[in-house]
Amino acid sequence: MVSSKSLKFFCVISILFVTIACKEKGGQLALPKLGSAAIDFTCQDLKGQTWNLEKIKGKVVLLRFWTDWCPHCRYEMPVIENYYRKLNKEGFVVLAVNVKQSPQVAEAFAAQFDVTFPILVDPDGKLAQRYGVHSIPTNFLIDRQGIVQEIRVGDLFKNKNFMEGLLKSYFQK
Amino acid sequence: MILSILICTLILFPSQGSGNSEKPDEVITRFQNQKLSIKWDPLTKAPLIIRGIESNLLEIKNFSKLSREEITHAGPQLVSKYQSLLQIGPDQLKLKGAEKISDVWYVSYWQTFQGVILYESSLGFSIDSHGRIKSLGAILYPDVQSPVTSRMSHEAALKIGQSQIKDFNKLKCRLMAESVLIYPVRKKNSVDYYRVYAFNFFPEKALHPATTEGGWAVFVDSQTGKVVLYETLLKPMGCCVPEDWVPPKPEEMKPKW
Repeated sequence: MVSSKSLKFFCVISILFVTIACKEKGGQLALPKLGSAAIDFTCQDLKGQTWNLEKIKGKVVLLRFWTDWCPHCRYEMPVIENYYRKLNKEGFVVLAVNVKQSPQVAEAFAAQFDVTFPILVDPDGKLAQRYGVHSIPTNFLIDRQGIVQEIRVGDLFKNKNFMEGLLKSYFQK
Repeated sequence: MILSILICTLILFPSQGSGNSEKPDEVITRFQNQKLSIKWDPLTKAPLIIRGIESNLLEIKNFSKLSREEITHAGPQLVSKYQSLLQIGPDQLKLKGAEKISDVWYVSYWQTFQGVILYESSLGFSIDSHGRIKSLGAILYPDVQSPVTSRMSHEAALKIGQSQIKDFNKLKCRLMAESVLIYPVRKKNSVDYYRVYAFNFFPEKALHPATTEGGWAVFVDSQTGKVVLYETLLKPMGCCVPEDWVPPKPEEMKPKW
């Protein structure tokens, strides 16, 4: 028979152990860096499909964090859609992660802009946090080897040649 | 009789074919002799998406000659035409944005209630160069149950809002935006509506374009003073773009190779 004191002691030790373990794990979480492997994730899109790095292996991926209230997210969505339609068959994937909004908001937005690329939903912002996103929009370009080749905070087209030049290097024959 | 059966069949069974095979959540229905594919919001019972099948939702005549302001009238026209489906009136729209990108106009609106914007509501669509609107996307709340006046003063609400921010003075926080909004809180089977004072606070250092510091949003219920939303804000980059920045021309934004 385990005494009440022993049980309490065991519980306290267990809680302490779990707390320390989580903190250590949290402390070790590195943010994505240029030239390093992209951080794996699991996230669902509006159609219920699950996305992770394995699924996009061998593709050039634009991972974009956005919201419907951000002016540049609105303005650039159709532009990105143009690139996606042109380059999708060649292996260009856009994963547009809606941050901290309801799936309904994301869905209505996608319909308004005739977006055909996957809209991922991150209602509690965990994926955004994992990727160190503090500003909207934030873009990560991940190459076919799964390496982060570009981190771009803000709009992609402020410098009109930026996106063009970047994608050209992957897709121009 | 046959027509009734046909209508029921179309409503009850999710669309298949007709170019809609990828949209299993949408149902095909007939509305004023027009075939539409609609996805409904199960909570509000309002449409999330309406697509015209075999016809457009709206065709605007002499579209190429219209000014930007005239183009923004498309929203009220669309709502008038589909009012019984959308369950709001044209006078409830407030323009959110209208941009032309690659010959296509993208127009969106907020829904208002007694002139007050509903937080995260929207109705938007694209218009092609021929003036055709093929579909719309929306977050609408047809049955808003909200007070039309505030019981507490703005000053009192602001104090409550500020008190939510730890080290408000030390961080030199500034009130960057404020408004009165209707804040719909989506619950499992219903929506609660709050008329709120909405405040956005940013610490001084967050305002520098080079920092990634965010701020806070605090929504204070205008009836009870209760804080109904408190969350950290991601920094909107749109706020920090220089005013003299000119968006690139549509032809510069198309892939060139």
